[in-house]
Amino acid sequence: MINEIGAFALVLALVLSLAQVGFSVAGRWRRSAVLAGAGAGAGLAAFGGVAIAFAALMHAFVTSDFSVANVAANSHTEKPMLYKVAGAWGSHEGSMLLWCLALTGFGAAVAGFRRGLPVGLKTVTVATQGALGTVFLAYTVLASNPFERLARIPIEGRSLNPLLQDPALAFHPPFLYAGYVGMSVVFSLAVAALVEGRADAAWARWVRPWTLMAWSLLTVGITLGAFWAYYELGWGGWWFWDPVENASFMPWLIATALLHSAIVTEKRGALAGWTVFLALAAFTFSMLGAFLVRSGVLTSVHAFAVDPTRGVLLLMILGVTAGAGFTLFAWRAPALSPGGVFAPVSRESALVLNNILLAAATVTVLLGTLYPLIREAATGEAISVGPPFFNLTFTPLMAALLILLPAGPLLAWKRGDALGVAQRLWVAALIAVACGLLAFAVVSPRKAMASAGLAMGAWLIIGALVELAERTRAFRGSRAETWRRLTGLPRGAWGMTFAHLGLGVFVLGACFETAWKAEAAETLAIGQTLNVGAYELTLDRIQGVDGPNYDAERATITARRDGALVCTPRPERRFYPTGGQTTSEVAICTQGASHLYVVLGERRPGEVWLVRAYWNPWALLIFLGPAIMALGGLISISDRRLRLAVGRRAVAE
Amino acid sequence: MFAFWVVAGLISAAAAFLVLHTAARAAVNAGSEDPTLALYRRQLGEIDDLADRGLIAQTERKGAHAEAARRLLTAADAGAAPWRVDAGLRRVLLLVAGLAPVLALGLYLAVGSPGYPDQGFKSRLAAWRAAEPSSLSPPEMAAVLGALTLERPKDPEAFRYLAMAQAASDNPSAAARALRRAIELSPRQADLWELLGEALLAQAGGEATPESSRAFAQAVKLDPRTVNARFYLGRARITAGDKAGGIAAWRALQAELAPADPRRAALGQAIAEAERGPSPAAPLAGQMDAIRGMVAGLAAKLETDPGDAEGWTRLVRSYAVLGEAEKRDAALASARKRFAADPDVLKALDLAAKTEPMR
Repeated sequence: MINEIGAFALVLALVLSLAQVGFSVAGRWRRSAVLAGAGAGAGLAAFGGVAIAFAALMHAFVTSDFSVANVAANSHTEKPMLYKVAGAWGSHEGSMLLWCLALTGFGAAVAGFRRGLPVGLKTVTVATQGALGTVFLAYTVLASNPFERLARIPIEGRSLNPLLQDPALAFHPPFLYAGYVGMSVVFSLAVAALVEGRADAAWARWVRPWTLMAWSLLTVGITLGAFWAYYELGWGGWWFWDPVENASFMPWLIATALLHSAIVTEKRGALAGWTVFLALAAFTFSMLGAFLVRSGVLTSVHAFAVDPTRGVLLLMILGVTAGAGFTLFAWRAPALSPGGVFAPVSRESALVLNNILLAAATVTVLLGTLYPLIREAATGEAISVGPPFFNLTFTPLMAALLILLPAGPLLAWKRGDALGVAQRLWVAALIAVACGLLAFAVVSPRKAMASAGLAMGAWLIIGALVELAERTRAFRGSRAETWRRLTGLPRGAWGMTFAHLGLGVFVLGACFETAWKAEAAETLAIGQTLNVGAYELTLDRIQGVDGPNYDAERATITARRDGALVCTPRPERRFYPTGGQTTSEVAICTQGASHLYVVLGERRPGEVWLVRAYWNPWALLIFLGPAIMALGGLISISDRRLRLAVGRRAVAE
Repeated sequence: MFAFWVVAGLISAAAAFLVLHTAARAAVNAGSEDPTLALYRRQLGEIDDLADRGLIAQTERKGAHAEAARRLLTAADAGAAPWRVDAGLRRVLLLVAGLAPVLALGLYLAVGSPGYPDQGFKSRLAAWRAAEPSSLSPPEMAAVLGALTLERPKDPEAFRYLAMAQAASDNPSAAARALRRAIELSPRQADLWELLGEALLAQAGGEATPESSRAFAQAVKLDPRTVNARFYLGRARITAGDKAGGIAAWRALQAELAPADPRRAALGQAIAEAERGPSPAAPLAGQMDAIRGMVAGLAAKLETDPGDAEGWTRLVRSYAVLGEAEKRDAALASARKRFAADPDVLKALDLAAKTEPMR
């Protein structure tokens, strides 16, 4: 019965989303508070419906109910419980349901706030969110129903792709989807701004917490995905410029641009049209990602719905929703007020430059992602656009952005003092150049570009600290004054410092790891050794292990450095009999910020095993950096000024 | 089905309540002030606050303050058209709130499977356990026995039966797993080792592996009369190249079997076939060169068009057949890197790399 309740609740949610649009549009038309309220209520109820459906699907996975086609295709009784639960979003249908859950959830969050937004803006936002919900729920119910039942029930399920049976991947989709779909609120608010003709400072402030939340979640989601690729695929890499990765990276870049342009709109009322444009683009790129991954145009672990019909439907959804948004923009944007003026050297100009560079970077990623697909569709010839393209196009744009970054926060609004900023930053520049030269002199083999990259990372970190020191008058005022300023600093400022610091940490890790990683692979018999970097790895033992749903060979390897024991990695090679797949379970020894990364390969005739080992120096920073950035986003959201209800109380006091 | 109607009704009622309640609340709050004004007032306060703490310069304060004040005034003057509370809409709302579940029900009847009860694995398992064992299919039997082994984790016989059911369900790796567990519990039972050897053999597609031979050898060590184990050990020797030794072992086994034993005749036939020796004739040197040329052509083509997964699989298999292990591994490594995200291709590549070389 629970399955059928889930199916009914899902359909009910679709009808309620439709009612949400009807009520809200009628409410805005007649300026009727009652109808607008009913629209908001329908939005809340729609979320309830999808939540019930999602819980029912999860129940089906947990109880291994193979009469549900989706469960039979993606679960197995022997699968560990975590992956039974995660199986609920491990397939196309289930992840569409998760998408709808996030979409209606964010819609309900907007609808549920009683105060904060003006009634008109809120009503149009709720209507737009309802329209998005209707479209995606209709697609889920009619073309990807997760509750489809089987008349002939199989004894066992076909289990989830073992590459996806991994803790990082269990949590990667929920974060990523929450991030993707969080952009829908931003999209809806932009539509509302255009309809209401008010993309002003107040609107920018209302947009900011949603953007921050979606951006932070997306950052965590992408990082988890990169971390998964790093240790589950067993090739030592963490970013391949794979179209699927790009699909999640483009909305992130746009959201980053939006975060910055919204500040200009909020503080100065300027750039309103551009901010609205970015708000529309962010969710458009999210939907583009969903289309790329699900249409079958890509081959990857993510491409679960290799079904052109569904792809065409998603493309239609993308075309209609984004098309409607941008048409509205073309019609209404000229009416938006231009806002305050600013000098060429000012905080505003710096943020505009940031936006130009980020937008250009997004365009290069878009080209690199779509060009091979379009070319393959047109000529039938497959080409792959890989790191060389992105190194030539994306990297220089980012380098320019990173060089300018520390200067931005030091510039004053309206009219900045370039000379003053240079005076404040010269120490940071000196230290950064020194770091680069030191790396060039000390680290072997000698690499000029990578050393420059390290200098860049140092420049970002020290630049962020200089900005903090400036604000708190550290080293200039008294210690008590510095402390007072430090504790009085708004959370938003802390968030910015953390985000910029995190970016610096990431740049350090990415440059160091990419340039100076070492790799070795050999077939080893028991007792033989392999050298990678400064480490000597000895294959001590291979033993069979019976996992919950796999058989594995586990190697015990001792890693020594200069004869001293460092650690004993235990990589595994797992065989999943249900699907007949083999995966490798990487063993990682963390040495400071660096990783010794060991993969057990296949057994070769004569009782020897292929062992691959990587020395990935500073690899931890690659994942730590984005984590610090996401933390910055969260700190920023917690800023008192963004929490409307609390702010209201504070004013009342 | 009755419970379904009750729960569906409750969900519908809750949805309708939410819609009506939120609408009623909105009606009460309709008159409250535009939050834009409050926000701009707060922004003014913040500018003062930051300036007082020295976080923005005094010169900047003045300009920012003036701009924020202008925004407040503009917003206050804008005075949008007021929002109405029309009580007459109550009936419309009730109608829609009642109609929505009816519409949903109609759509559900079209896309759902009304009346189809849940089929959780636990309840299906209980039904199989209650049923007559002979009526069960091998996979059902394996599921029942799997549950039994959970209840009797110390009983090697339970695991042995499970293994046999798994083998009958064409699931040799699960059979091997159950047998390993049985052997842990009763390591001196020759038939368990023999079954394990057979399961491992089946898992490897009928080809002898070091593991299966070890299991058979253990079975023979524990009980020299285990016929199947000795047969497979003999066959492994023959395929490994020791034809004379293998056939001698088979002859010894044949001599021990009773004349009436049907296995004796079968074994005799196997010996005769092995002696005739269908060892594949080595291809002529010229043919080999032609084959190498074709493989080189394929490799060159993949250099220019590396996206061809099937081509890579073919290349790896060709090198494996030619016995060129280094080239095979190099091709496998670069293909694996390229298709790291595609488990199907990886599987095919691994399988291709395991192809036996031609002798």
